[in-house]
Amino acid sequence: MGSTLDTQIVGRLLVAVILAVASGSSLAAQQLNGAFAPAIQLAQKRMAKVYGATAGRVDGYSSGVIVSNDGLIITMQGIYLNGRQVRVTLHDGSQHDARVIRRDRDLQLALLQIDAETPDFFELSDADVGQKGDWVVTLSNAFKVADGVEPMSVNLGVISLRTSIEARLNARDIAYRGPLVLIDAITSNPGAGGGAVVTVDGQLVGTIGRVINSSETNTRLNYAVPGKILKAFVEGRVTQPVAEQTIRPATGNAELGIRLFRLGGRLAPAYIDRVVSGSPAQQAGLKPDDLVISIGGEKIGTIREYDAAIERLAPTQEVIIVVKRRLQLIRVPLTTVEKK
Amino acid sequence: MMNRPRAILTVLATVVVWSLMSESSSWAQPSPRDAHNHDQLRGIALTAKAFRAAAQRIEPSLVTIESFGGVSTAAGRIGGIRQRGEGNTTGVMISPDGFVVTSSFNFIEQPPVITVITADGQRRVAKLLGRDDSRRICLLQIEGVTDMPVPEMVPLDDVQVGQWAVSVGVGYGDKNPAISMGIISAKNRIGGRAIQTDANISPANYGGPLVDIEGRMIGVCVPIAPNSGSLGSGVEWYDSGIGFAIPLHGAEKLLERLKNGVHIQRAFLGIRSEDDPDQPGIKISQVIPGTAAAEAGLKSGDRLTAIDEQEIQNVMDLRKLLARFMAGDEIKLVYEREGKTAEKQITLGAPPKPEDEDTPSLFPGRRRAPDRR
Repeated sequence: MGSTLDTQIVGRLLVAVILAVASGSSLAAQQLNGAFAPAIQLAQKRMAKVYGATAGRVDGYSSGVIVSNDGLIITMQGIYLNGRQVRVTLHDGSQHDARVIRRDRDLQLALLQIDAETPDFFELSDADVGQKGDWVVTLSNAFKVADGVEPMSVNLGVISLRTSIEARLNARDIAYRGPLVLIDAITSNPGAGGGAVVTVDGQLVGTIGRVINSSETNTRLNYAVPGKILKAFVEGRVTQPVAEQTIRPATGNAELGIRLFRLGGRLAPAYIDRVVSGSPAQQAGLKPDDLVISIGGEKIGTIREYDAAIERLAPTQEVIIVVKRRLQLIRVPLTTVEKK
Repeated sequence: MMNRPRAILTVLATVVVWSLMSESSSWAQPSPRDAHNHDQLRGIALTAKAFRAAAQRIEPSLVTIESFGGVSTAAGRIGGIRQRGEGNTTGVMISPDGFVVTSSFNFIEQPPVITVITADGQRRVAKLLGRDDSRRICLLQIEGVTDMPVPEMVPLDDVQVGQWAVSVGVGYGDKNPAISMGIISAKNRIGGRAIQTDANISPANYGGPLVDIEGRMIGVCVPIAPNSGSLGSGVEWYDSGIGFAIPLHGAEKLLERLKNGVHIQRAFLGIRSEDDPDQPGIKISQVIPGTAAAEAGLKSGDRLTAIDEQEIQNVMDLRKLLARFMAGDEIKLVYEREGKTAEKQITLGAPPKPEDEDTPSLFPGRRRAPDRR
């Protein structure tokens, strides 16, 4: 969106103002509605309602998006797909049996296929679609509101942020740490997972993620799994950003010579109780009662976080530690030694 | 960054272009490939650009707040909620010499150590000054700064119901703030102290700014609820389309009190009461010793009928009325005793401690290593 467009628009504005003054026409607010309609109508044809097995309190349904002309559908991974039959209803009301082609527990995605031609589908792209602030519409079958031939429920919002979130799933699930698109439309609802997040020009930003809580905010997250991840998933080349522990050998045996005050439990702040004589911590001038607030740029709010950060260090690794001493923040470089 | 006149132009232009485009065509066969729709999409893209510009304009004043230690929520509820997130929270620099306004919700655990990371990436120790329980805001101070960028505040009179509003916050843990877009839903809420918006207001942006389309600050995002005094109330509305922000334009007096460390508490009358549908007013069943009601000489059996010319029909009326006042405010009570009507001017007090129903457990670490400044 360059400045040419702005100039163009401002030029139009002048004409418009003259016209508006001349004709006395008012600005019609209802015209705002129309702008989203074409994208929604296109997207509705590319959606699928997915029905599986209901087991206990687990929802037996979700939303899905069609991503090829030969019946490939991306939806939410879940045990509802473990039943004898998975049924899919398309926008025209036609019903189809679906095969589960692929599932990914980290991404919480499943790929289904139906034996039908699906000429209306979302093109997946390797590039990011949509940036912060862009309008998006979401389409989903949250709460199974749409039945049979009824179209998906549509919500409006903007992209809040493209980020990656340390998401906290149920204890049995694995936290996915890849990129996410946070949106401000409320999508964190049963059955919405696998629904579409679409820009006003009809491109797929991503699919609505499952209902999860953010440990940062202790709130449910409204987010989409970005299209490029979906593309990799469909093409069977998902690479998870879990490489950390394989890159650095022999972590977990490094030592700084800090002994924390631990009687407050693992959720207490990381106050230094003493520093081992001759250790890197002592040489760097750290003292009892200093509060460790950051290691290697990462905030240390609790003893638990301190332990986790130390565990990730290798011997002879240089790391910056920030401690609070009275009103001062002291920033010291330390080189770890091997734990004895 | 977009300057102000240009931002206005952009938004105006968008609206005008829309109105122009739409008159000349029909919506019967919409398709994104239509020429006029193409123009409309460009118009929409311009609003998105304006949202980004608005957020960017406030970003230099945005701060990330880290807190360390405090009261455990593991043992039960605190401030009316089970658990706050573990992440950082948001604040706004409001004076060049380092005063930061944020939401008191962010310090529900009373952390002994707070640090603030300013937009330039510098981290400093912050001091918690006064707080206002009726607005859920508080002030932090960082020292040794003189030329911090501060946002422009919008006068309340310039805020219109229906205008764009963008909430901004860093609570998701990314340095890049998240935004949510909405409109102003109402201006006069929570006894006139809050503005209501349908932009998402949540722990991800409590303490952060609600800005207008030009990036001027409308208010501070807070959790708040009309009829509850506990610090965590209002959080449950985070995904409901109901959010609140506290306007600060013209609030110099309030901010001065907070700078001086004043804790502004909600009003506490000091009676237990019950509804009596047969007669006007509510019946006082108990007067708590040492409270404003006791000092005023109210007795159990008295019938409270009005506060400051506002009639009281039931206990809920009383609660709503009292929510408008702060400790230290003077009110006129009208009550009946033995069939006779009497009036009394009283000064409202503060709630007795502890304010929360559950007594939270303290970390021993906090007692052992208090902040020593």
